[in-house]
Amino acid sequence: MPGTPRRSRFRSTEAILLVVLGALSGACAALPGAPGRDPIHISELVDQGDPVRRASQRLLVEGLEADAAGADARAKGRYERAIQLDPTNPYAYLTFARFEVERRRATQARAWLDQTYALFDAAGGLPSRVEAHVIGLGGAVEAIRGNRTDAARDLERARRLAPVVWGDAYLSAEELL
Amino acid sequence: MASGTGKKTGRKKASRKAPARPAHGGRRPVRARRRQRRWRRDHLRLALRIVAALAFVAGVVSGRWLLGLDQTVRERFEGRRFRVPSRVFSAPTILYPGFSAQRFDLKGQLLRRGYREQSGARGTPLESGRFRWSPNRVRVHLRAFEHPTRSEPARDIVMRIARGRVEEMRELPRGREVGAVLLEPEQVGAFYGSSREQRDLVRLEDVPPHLTDAILAVEDRRFESHVGIDPVRIAGAMVANFRAGGITQGGSTLTQQLVKNFFLTPERTLRRKLTEAVMALLVEVRYDKPAILQAYLNEIYLGRRGSTSVHGVGEASRFLFGKRAADLTVSESALIAAIIQSPNRLSPHRNPTVATQRRNLVLQLMREQERIDSATLAEAEAEPLGVADIAIDPGDARYFLDLLRRQLPEVYDSQVLEAEGLRIYSTLDLRLQRAAARALENGLTALERDFPGVRSEDPADRLQGCVLALRPQTGEILALVGGRDYGLSQFDRCAQARRQTGSVFKPFVYAAALDASAGIPHITLASFIEDGPLEVQTPAGPWRPENFDKKFHGRVPVREAIERSMNVAAARLGQEVGIDQVVAMARRLGVTSKLPRVPSLALGTAELSPLEVARAYATLANGGQRPWPHALEDVVAPDVGTLDRRELRFERTIDPGTAFLTTELLRGVVDRGTARRIRAMGMEGSIAGKTGTTDDERDLWFVGFTPELVTVVWVGFDQPRSVGISSSRAAIPIWVDFVSEAVGKRVRGVFPRPHEVQAFAIDPRSGALAAASCPSSRREYFLAGTEPRDICTFGGVRRAGDAHPRRRRGILDWLRGR
Repeated sequence: MPGTPRRSRFRSTEAILLVVLGALSGACAALPGAPGRDPIHISELVDQGDPVRRASQRLLVEGLEADAAGADARAKGRYERAIQLDPTNPYAYLTFARFEVERRRATQARAWLDQTYALFDAAGGLPSRVEAHVIGLGGAVEAIRGNRTDAARDLERARRLAPVVWGDAYLSAEELL
Repeated sequence: MASGTGKKTGRKKASRKAPARPAHGGRRPVRARRRQRRWRRDHLRLALRIVAALAFVAGVVSGRWLLGLDQTVRERFEGRRFRVPSRVFSAPTILYPGFSAQRFDLKGQLLRRGYREQSGARGTPLESGRFRWSPNRVRVHLRAFEHPTRSEPARDIVMRIARGRVEEMRELPRGREVGAVLLEPEQVGAFYGSSREQRDLVRLEDVPPHLTDAILAVEDRRFESHVGIDPVRIAGAMVANFRAGGITQGGSTLTQQLVKNFFLTPERTLRRKLTEAVMALLVEVRYDKPAILQAYLNEIYLGRRGSTSVHGVGEASRFLFGKRAADLTVSESALIAAIIQSPNRLSPHRNPTVATQRRNLVLQLMREQERIDSATLAEAEAEPLGVADIAIDPGDARYFLDLLRRQLPEVYDSQVLEAEGLRIYSTLDLRLQRAAARALENGLTALERDFPGVRSEDPADRLQGCVLALRPQTGEILALVGGRDYGLSQFDRCAQARRQTGSVFKPFVYAAALDASAGIPHITLASFIEDGPLEVQTPAGPWRPENFDKKFHGRVPVREAIERSMNVAAARLGQEVGIDQVVAMARRLGVTSKLPRVPSLALGTAELSPLEVARAYATLANGGQRPWPHALEDVVAPDVGTLDRRELRFERTIDPGTAFLTTELLRGVVDRGTARRIRAMGMEGSIAGKTGTTDDERDLWFVGFTPELVTVVWVGFDQPRSVGISSSRAAIPIWVDFVSEAVGKRVRGVFPRPHEVQAFAIDPRSGALAAASCPSSRREYFLAGTEPRDICTFGGVRRAGDAHPRRRRGILDWLRGR
């Protein structure tokens, strides 16, 4: 049985390699910006930041809950107050952009999205877990405007970054909540 | 025969009626009598004809009069019955854990909105619109707020307070923790017509029965049965007046009172009383009792609030108790009914004892007429008056109201605003507005005290000023005080005045020089500028700018040049960048006024309004996104819904990097430069700003911003003349007074650094990158790729070639596929 030990050695090396590769891919998946990473949920942020930011995030959560329940007016009111309270909260503008996209108001949605960009950018760049939403909503705005090429490109980028959420090219209030 | 018989008969009659026969014989008197009879008959006929004609004319006239009265009644009842002024409301106040109850004057905010303090044990129920206050625990039963898109339910909230801050908020009865709640908007003012009547319309079905019962009990107990006039009541009033020897009691029914208020003058003449009675009958014929009662409830005069009069029970409920008519208790209803007779004499604010007596009289009448039971009577009589504090319209928001009116679409003209009862929701933060008004008046008064030369006895020539605050991210105008006294001058110095800006314009020059959108920026924050003699040829001759201290400072770092507000350095930079580029940058930032393309533009010779200056600085504070300053949130029509609403608009006009670097320069102005007084006055945190003083110190400016608030202060005379004080001394104290009140001495947040801006250690003497061995170093910011290439080491500066390579793409470029 001269070949047996060699084969078993090979198998163990193969196993080790597989384990290492598996670990590496797991680690890669966990890295910021890695494709497939779960994008941000506003409800995760309610305990972050100073009291003003926390209250603003709570208002966003209340708004998203109302939005998901079909109470548009209440949702919009909550988003407006979240901005009034903390005008530097980029998530408030992001949430508002989603609201306007769903109502197919491209101009308003673009304005909110621009402000989202500006605030994230001014704060050091887009967090990786927000990227898919910002790009996807940008694509949705282009789709409303009828710019199919740009829309398809951005929505595809969003889908690659967050396939679970953006697989259907749509971000619901529940998914952002 | 005939004649003989006739004579005989005539004689007999004559002898009976006239025993003494005249001396001139028999035939002549007979003829005379006949003539007389004929004359009488003719005159009688004539008189009858005249009477008939007169009766006809009177019939026509009175018929026309009646028809006219009837038409008047119908027009008023079937057309728009009331002119209801449109009201303007502030933005709501948001309460949240961490909220400073002390700084935000929570109790004052509640009282101004008509909330009333209610004592009682901790667990006892609390009515809507009431609060219970203790040092470490506040319970407020927030009223419902009705709005087509932003309605809020009534909520019973309890707040735990420690060290003046709200630590925790829970909603009762379940005790669920809440993150934020809204205090409804506060009324800022209203667009009154010439009558200055305040009215909040109610429908009969929305009014509690005990309110109508109270009014009918004291004003017209037979309202349901009479026909507009009440003979029993009139007779009773006549007897009472006869006994009293004067008019002490009126016999008017509720319908007559309504007619009098609707159509007639208050004069006491028979003609007016007759007209009133006839019109009351017409009203009763034409309309049913509920319609008449509803009109009465909305029309009746119920007192004065400042310079306006309160009409109708809806407005009176808000005025007296800070609540809707639907929520009135029996006791409160009785008080409203009580004061109808003489609202000013019986005012519960001025004469609480008399008002209480009259209220109790109404309650007793209600009991006598079996409108309430004995238990209710006893309970209502025991209740204190409980009227809310008088909240006079905050007059210091009138400049803001004017701006709001100018910003409203043209369809909202005076006719509409003064009659349609619109609810106009604005961006105004009343707390900030009051703070701004106070800061301006205190600041100007202090200047007049410390510098008697600026004092003027002529009210039209007093030192003036303006304070304007807006939120840079949204452009919402939070406070605007356009002058010291609106009553004296309605000219808004924030939005309507255009004054030379002086050094307040210089940041636009530096922003143009730092801008890298066209490629390589002219300067970085590590650059140096020559502050030496400069002569520029202009069509008007050579122009030689000078510094304030009449000195030249040689080669100075960019930071020092702006921190010390050096004129020659700024003028030179303007020349290097090009005046066209400076104008273009000012436009991108939001300046809309005419800008002369002359070299002196760099030193602020252009005349701008404080509002556009605020907008330009807001673009910097907002990372290069230009906001649209606005005062309006939305317009709501009763029973219709939202008529108009503003949509926020933003426009990316300069790169975030340029905005950040310019802001960095302006932070230096506050930390070390001409505005360092701000630090000396105890303000901490991220603050940037620029002072501005024009020739002869005519216009004194300070524009300062935090990450969340841009505030402009201007001080000067309406007819430009020297104030003789520096802007640092005149405008900065007002700014600090206002901002410290608005956001506290320690401001929140930082100016976030964009991705494309990087920090490097540099040698401040040479501007080169500082290696570890460089003798001195400080941290400086650069757009990526614009950092210096020269390196400072222990041995000196090692020169490199290209100091400004093409900058790298920023994240925005990448995201937008540029």
